Amino acid sequence: MTVYSFYIFDRHTECIYTKTWLPQTSSTSDGPSSGGGGGGGQQQQHGPPGTSTSTSTTTGSGSGSGNTTMQLRASSADDAKLIFGTVFSLRNMVRKLGGDDDAFVAFRTAHYKLHYYETASSLRLVMLTDTGTPSMRNVLHQVYINLWVEYVVKNPLSPVEHKRGVGVKNELFEMALDQFIRGLM
Amino acid sequence: MASSKASRLGEEYVWRTRMDKVNAELVVLTYGAMVAQLCKDFDSDYVKVNQQLDKMGYNIGLRLIEDYLAKSNTFKRCSNFRETAEMIAKVGFKIFLNITPTITNWTSDGKQFSLVFDENPFADFVELPDDGRAQDELWYSNILCGVLRGALEMVQMQVEAKFVSDVLRGNDTTEMRISLIRYIDDELPPEDD
Repeated sequence: MTVYSFYIFDRHTECIYTKTWLPQTSSTSDGPSSGGGGGGGQQQQHGPPGTSTSTSTTTGSGSGSGNTTMQLRASSADDAKLIFGTVFSLRNMVRKLGGDDDAFVAFRTAHYKLHYYETASSLRLVMLTDTGTPSMRNVLHQVYINLWVEYVVKNPLSPVEHKRGVGVKNELFEMALDQFIRGLM
Repeated sequence: MASSKASRLGEEYVWRTRMDKVNAELVVLTYGAMVAQLCKDFDSDYVKVNQQLDKMGYNIGLRLIEDYLAKSNTFKRCSNFRETAEMIAKVGFKIFLNITPTITNWTSDGKQFSLVFDENPFADFVELPDDGRAQDELWYSNILCGVLRGALEMVQMQVEAKFVSDVLRGNDTTEMRISLIRYIDDELPPEDD
């Protein structure tokens, strides 16, 4: 099982956290140049294969040039927006067809699987994994109750609203999340 | 209903095993010291003290709801306001304060109800100031109104919560009135240019 990336969206539809894990067994040559493997991984290197066309083109052309990071960052912000738009529409459609109790759980493409979990407080957690991964709903629920609530919400000095991700990127949360996800892989 | 019975045992279990406990007297004294300080700061302007307590509670509620959702094992959104009232009284108050206020006085449209508190952990040992006004103006436990308002707002319900009677004032019961104003819609992502 491989986890590619993880996103958190708040109730104002803003993406307040993203994290990318590089595939452990990298089949391409860009593995060693990444620098994200050492636990940081904060800069968006690249999404899973074929998340969107923009990602794959920038990763394809971006081995050396200086502004690649900028492009990557821009494209990852776009990715987040696209992902939110997609899951939001899917969730609404699912509820329309299946009733308010129905929940959108995951979708799969040829290259990846997207898992979705939404709390009653309208926090949305999204995780992209390889296609063979079974449902990660429980994992996302655990991330919410054991990591988000414990390390972000209960941090007395963190703001209630996380505009531009303020307060989410604290060390405890990041470390625990990284450990938890790596433990699964 | 079998399921509701099971969940009631669940709350007891959650309260016993998952909640960190704090000494009751510490709570009473801390809360009391805070209210006393507010009365001092606002020069015994009890209307302002009530407002301030509500505001503090609101900020607590915004966070507390997440802990509630994490601890309470509730996966489904309440389907109506009556169910919400049940969950507030039997789960929320139970797991955080170990009390279960009684739900009464529903209006016929199902949008307003009262919580009657048989016991109030904040109010042990408390006597309101004897200045002739506190008895009529101060809602000592007003922080609870704010907590409910903040917590429910996070789960997309705009409510108004206020105390209508308090044993500290010499009333027979301590009663909080909660009215649903509206359900808040999902926020939509901004349009792309």
